[in-house]
Amino acid sequence: MNKENKGQIRTIEAFFAVLIIFSSFAISANLTITQTITRHEDLASMGLQALVKLDSDGNLGKFIEDGNWTAIRDALNIILPAGVCFNLTIYNEQMQQINTEVISNGGFSSQQIAFTEYICASQGTVFCCYIIHLHLAVAT
Amino acid sequence: MPAISVDTFFACSLMVLLVLSAMATTSKLLYPHINNTVNNSIAEKYKEISTYLLLNDGTLSNWGQNSQKIPETFGLAKADSDNPYELDIDKVSRLNSENLYAISYAQIFTALKMSDISFSIEIKPIFEVAINLTATYAFPNETIYEFQILTEKHGVPVRAELKFYVVAENYLETSYVHVSDGRIYLNITLSNDVNGPALLVTFAKAICNAKIMSFGVYAFAHNSVEPKQKGTFLRLSPLNYTLNASLVYSGINLSKAYALTINYNSTLAQTSSSNQSITYNLSHFLDSSPTLIVVTGWNSTVFFTEWAAYPQIPLRTGVNFEGLTTLSNVFANTYIVTINLALYECTVWVGGPEE
Repeated sequence: MNKENKGQIRTIEAFFAVLIIFSSFAISANLTITQTITRHEDLASMGLQALVKLDSDGNLGKFIEDGNWTAIRDALNIILPAGVCFNLTIYNEQMQQINTEVISNGGFSSQQIAFTEYICASQGTVFCCYIIHLHLAVAT
Repeated sequence: MPAISVDTFFACSLMVLLVLSAMATTSKLLYPHINNTVNNSIAEKYKEISTYLLLNDGTLSNWGQNSQKIPETFGLAKADSDNPYELDIDKVSRLNSENLYAISYAQIFTALKMSDISFSIEIKPIFEVAINLTATYAFPNETIYEFQILTEKHGVPVRAELKFYVVAENYLETSYVHVSDGRIYLNITLSNDVNGPALLVTFAKAICNAKIMSFGVYAFAHNSVEPKQKGTFLRLSPLNYTLNASLVYSGINLSKAYALTINYNSTLAQTSSSNQSITYNLSHFLDSSPTLIVVTGWNSTVFFTEWAAYPQIPLRTGVNFEGLTTLSNVFANTYIVTINLALYECTVWVGGPEE
C-alpha cells in the first residue's frame, strides 16, 4: 500500500467502528422487551381478576344473556383502575362474536396491549358457555 | 506537516471521539434496562407478597374474630372461603386503628416474618359518595335541608341507586330508593320537635352491579350546636358481630343504637354494660352492603350521634411511604376484594431497601 494512502485506510476503519457501535445500539434497544412483558402480565392479571369478580355471582353471564352490553362496560369502567383502557369481545362456543355493540371505554393510544381470556358459564336453565376476550392498555 | 500525519491525526481523533461517545451512550442506554431487570424481579417478588397477604388466612385462621388473639402468621383472607380474594370482615376491621382491638403495625410486621420489607394496606369502597349541605330553609314547624350527593370514581360520575337514613334523637327516617346519574339533590325535612345533631347516612349501589357499594355519612346541626368530630364521645369497635361502645367520658348515657344496610335496618339490643363500655349484638344481614352502626346518646346535656362501618372501612394502615421512594423500592398493587358479598378496592404498597 502506498504510504500516502495509509490515512485513508484509517478513516475507513473509523467508519467501520461507527457501524459496529451503532449496531450495538440497535441490539441494546431490544432489551426493553423484558419490561414490556411484565407490564402486560400485570394488566392481564388485573383484567382477569375484574372478570372473575364480576362473574362471582353469575351477573356477567346474565348480562351476556340479556345483551346488556352497557352494564358490562359500566361495571368494567368502575372496577378497573382509572387510566386503563379496555376492549371486550364476547364469543359463543362456535367462536362467533355475540356482542352487537362495542364494549370499550375508548381507543387504545398505547402500543402495549395486554390480553386475557375468560370462560363464562351462564346460570340460566339452558347451559351456555361464552368466551370473553379482554384487551387492556394503559392510557398515555 | 505532511498530509499523511493530518489524515492519521484526524482518523485517530475521530475513533477516540466515537469510542468515548459510544461508551457514554451505551452505558446511558443500558443502565435503566439493567436496573429495570432488577426492579422487575423485585416488583414480581413484592407482588407475590401482596397477593399472599390477601389469599392467605394466617395462623390461627380465625384470629380476627377473637379480640385477644394476635396472629402468628399474617393473612387477611376469610378462612375456608372458595372465593379468591375474599377477606374476613373481622381481620379487616382489626386493621383500623379506630377499633379498640386493632393490631399494631409492629404486631403485623412480626407476624409477616419478613424483616426486609415494609408495607401499607388501604381498603376502601370502589367509588366515592360525597355529601354537601347546599341550603337550609327554616320554617316555624320544620326545617328543610338541601343536600347535593355525588357518586363518583376519580371524578367520573357513577350511576347508582341511593338510599338514605336520617338519625336524630329517638328518630329514624328511611327514604325510598333514588336513582342518580352521579349527582342528585335531596331535600330532608325535619320537624323542629326533633333534637339534633342529625346524621344523614347514604348508601349507594352501582346500577351495573349490585355488589359494588359505597356509603357516605354527614352530620349536621338541627336544633342543636354544630356536631363534634367523630369519636369525641364514643369509640365504636365492631367485631365478631358484637359492638363494643367505649365511653370517652364517664357521664355518657346511651339511648338508641341502629344497624343500617341498604336494604335492612334494625335497632340494636344491649347485651352488657359497665362504667366504661356497653356491648350490643349486631344483626347479620344477608345483604351485599356494609353495615353502618349509629349510636345515639347524651353527654350530660349534649345530644350526640356516633357511627362506624362494619367492616370498619375506609382504612389505611402501615408505613407512610411518602418521601421514602428515593431511598427504597416501593411497589403498589391494587386488587378487587370481596368482604361479606360486597366488592371493595384494596391497595397494598410493599417497599424494601433499594438494591
